[in-house]
Amino acid sequence: NVNGETYDLDIEPNRLLLHVLREEVGLTGTKEGCSIGVCGACSVIADGRLVSSCLTLAVACHGKEITTIEGLAQDGVLHPLQQAFIEYGGLQCGICTPGQIIAAKSLLDENPRPSEEELKEWMSGNLCRCTGYYKIFESVMAVVTNKVTVAQPAAKPAHEAKIQSLGVYKPVSKTS
Amino acid sequence: MAKAENFSVVGRRVRRVEGYEKVTGESRYIADIVLPRMLIGKVLRSPYPHARILNIDTGKAEKLRGVRCVVTAEDTIKKPWGAFFADQYPLSVGKVRYVGEEVAAVAAIDRETAEEALDLIEIDWEELPGVFDAEEAMRPEAPRIHEDRESNVAMVIDVERGNVEKAFAESDIVVEDTFQSAPQWHCAIETIGSVAEYSPSGKYTIYMNTQTLFNARYRIAAALGVRETDVRIIQSAVGGGFGGKSCDDNNALVAAILARKAGKPVKLINTREEEFLAGSRPRVFMKIYVKMGFKKDGKIRAKQTRVIADNGAYSAKAPAITGVAALRHDTCYKYSDVKTQAYLVYTNKIPTGAFRGFGNPSAEWAVEQAIDEAAHKLGIDPLEIARINAAEPGYVSPHGNRVISCELKQCIDKAGELMDWKNKRADKKPNTGLGLACTVHVSGKRHFGDYDGSSATIKINEDGKALILSGEGEAGQGCFTTMCAIAAEELGVPIEDVEISQADTDLTTFCLGAFASRLTYISGNAVRDAAAKVKQQLFEQAAEMLEANAEDLIARDGKIFVKGAEQKSLAVGDVARARLFRNGGAPIVASGKFDADSVLQDSSRYGNESGAYNYGCQAAQVEVDLDTGQVKILEYVAASDCGTVINPVGAEGQVEGSVAQGIGYALIEGLRFDEGRPVNPNFSDYRIPSMRDMPPLKHAFADSYEPTGPFGAKGLGELGMDPTAAVISNAIFDAVGVRVKTLPITPEKVLRALKEKK
Repeated sequence: NVNGETYDLDIEPNRLLLHVLREEVGLTGTKEGCSIGVCGACSVIADGRLVSSCLTLAVACHGKEITTIEGLAQDGVLHPLQQAFIEYGGLQCGICTPGQIIAAKSLLDENPRPSEEELKEWMSGNLCRCTGYYKIFESVMAVVTNKVTVAQPAAKPAHEAKIQSLGVYKPVSKTS
Repeated sequence: MAKAENFSVVGRRVRRVEGYEKVTGESRYIADIVLPRMLIGKVLRSPYPHARILNIDTGKAEKLRGVRCVVTAEDTIKKPWGAFFADQYPLSVGKVRYVGEEVAAVAAIDRETAEEALDLIEIDWEELPGVFDAEEAMRPEAPRIHEDRESNVAMVIDVERGNVEKAFAESDIVVEDTFQSAPQWHCAIETIGSVAEYSPSGKYTIYMNTQTLFNARYRIAAALGVRETDVRIIQSAVGGGFGGKSCDDNNALVAAILARKAGKPVKLINTREEEFLAGSRPRVFMKIYVKMGFKKDGKIRAKQTRVIADNGAYSAKAPAITGVAALRHDTCYKYSDVKTQAYLVYTNKIPTGAFRGFGNPSAEWAVEQAIDEAAHKLGIDPLEIARINAAEPGYVSPHGNRVISCELKQCIDKAGELMDWKNKRADKKPNTGLGLACTVHVSGKRHFGDYDGSSATIKINEDGKALILSGEGEAGQGCFTTMCAIAAEELGVPIEDVEISQADTDLTTFCLGAFASRLTYISGNAVRDAAAKVKQQLFEQAAEMLEANAEDLIARDGKIFVKGAEQKSLAVGDVARARLFRNGGAPIVASGKFDADSVLQDSSRYGNESGAYNYGCQAAQVEVDLDTGQVKILEYVAASDCGTVINPVGAEGQVEGSVAQGIGYALIEGLRFDEGRPVNPNFSDYRIPSMRDMPPLKHAFADSYEPTGPFGAKGLGELGMDPTAAVISNAIFDAVGVRVKTLPITPEKVLRALKEKK
């Protein structure tokens, strides 16, 4: 079960969860960074636990509920952490971002009010080479301190596309 | 300084234009691209640092079920290629020169089959003696790495401006020392990769995570023996570049060769180990001897350096990087008499190359420590000695770099304030110390085709939204957001009304790409020029509609109106629609251009290398544990002069990320080699900083305006990385009186130095 949807897959026993998610399920938001469980880019949540999908055998996840980055936004509304990473610039290249957000989510699910030290310690399993972590830290703390309000998808100003050919033909055309 | 303009987008805390895609996992990186019938490629790499290839037998591998093709040098034109020196082949011809070099490659239906096939390729080797140290490689009796060259010395710079001997004689004190910098890997969390396809019509299409599309295109075309336009490069989302993805490696070439032979698309993604062995070209490591003469008052009188730079087996960008290490620092302070001798030397190791900072971090590592040494000897506050010598607007370096805007003094002062330098210095605690260092960087560098420009096209759509077409690409640093902000400011529309297209050599303008901190300044100027021109087209239409003169119109917040008559305004979309459907169907499109007012350096490396120079000063307070040698950074500050800050969130991120890489460079990062063989090519042994390693950081931007930049802006991306290692080393010296002169400054080295001091 991935992000609330059940998949019936025949998987060879040696295949990694990471590769099954990316190649069989088609969810490429989970990234491969180091392949040895150090960088955290492949982080997913399995039955409430944060795991490195590059070290997890897919068959071991039979019947488990897996949450990937694609499962966070609901009906087009971003998860507060996703919103925060955009607002506070918690990303640059974005390759580690899914893992960072998933790791932060798993922490906040367990402990919605972590101390700064707890947060730093927890997030140290997720490497980022772009940001120096300051803005990632700020982004997560913004959620912890309730500074983030998630926008509804319709918050974007409504624009009306104009069909240029409307009005070209009149309902009635005749000579008078 | 002239900050006349009142901006509506520039300087605002805008969001990343690709933010939504990046936080939802929708951004498509190279590994996420899947094409129909796509095969997986794998590379057979040299296990030896130096060996002759006597025979390659691919027969068994080709027969393995699921293998679609195996390629070797026989499938190439055997023509060497490279950015500045053509010395490397896509697949080894006759011999290998480093561990990890590409010898053969396989395309198969899946990863496992491709890996299995690699084991079936049989090679007869003749091992050759290798040379792994640059100084040893300079000896006449050293094994020759490239037989067609007279020696292992790839390049020499020997430059004197003024009279150094006389200047040293006139100096009150002279300091001299030798510093060794370390190789540092980019460690972008995404490795290099490509997906290549070949059409029998003769065209290659390559999806790449490169940060320099057009440079990649002409290099790849040359190595494949085809015209530039026979190669189409499409940039995927790039998961971090830092110079490592500027196409100095063979990944895309091997993918292209496989795709042609297989007749199917081939995906080739480096594993993390391959990335260390033969992917991104690590920072050139250098041994730098520096000698400097000072007057009693702290003024620099003379500087002499001798640089020995390790090129690795092939040259990549090291010829330019070595020049930067030898010469650029002379734009940071006011120098009159300088001499440098720099040698770039082949060794049997991974080719070194471009990493954020280019040659600056190595040069600053040495020179800024020498200056600090002099300050201590002269009893002058290191902050004061920097101030005394700091470059100023109008300064021309001995090598011809012409400085227009320069707020280095302001940076020094701001760094001092943020650190509370004076008070902390007066109230020094045991085993804690303060250090600082300054730096200069370019905003673009003229060396590709005697050109340091950019071009961009902007198209206005019928709803009024602008689309920027630029071939610069987005390497992950956020330059798309900066370009959109610049276009929005000039067009007078909200940033949400500007989009930028994916870079694609077939569709977007010719651009050099992301290097030399050039995009905000160079590409920003081209984008602004295009926006101004396309706005003129809108104004001509609006003038007709408003029965006014185009010269009297202004655009703001998506509306066009006569100056002072805002109540009677037209939406840009309405103007665009009117324009598109009239005027004989003229598209609303304009192209802008810019080429920096710089010159290609002459044969003595004289000449203004860049259109604008960025400056910075950083300071640290550290605490050294005398028992463990552990260095703790208590506080870090960075002050940067990048002209106008276009995109503050992005700018802060550049500084923060640079400092993090600088701290890694200073304290923890390094790959150990055993006879040319990297012993720790993975993330558990090659550590990069994590969140808990980062010290409290404060930063500031100078009040600065570069008249030749877009809205006063200049470059920033590399500045924050340049001085960091020297800053930390200077602080350690202030804390405990020892200097570790080889990077990284590990606790073991600190302990050893403390023991030697006793």
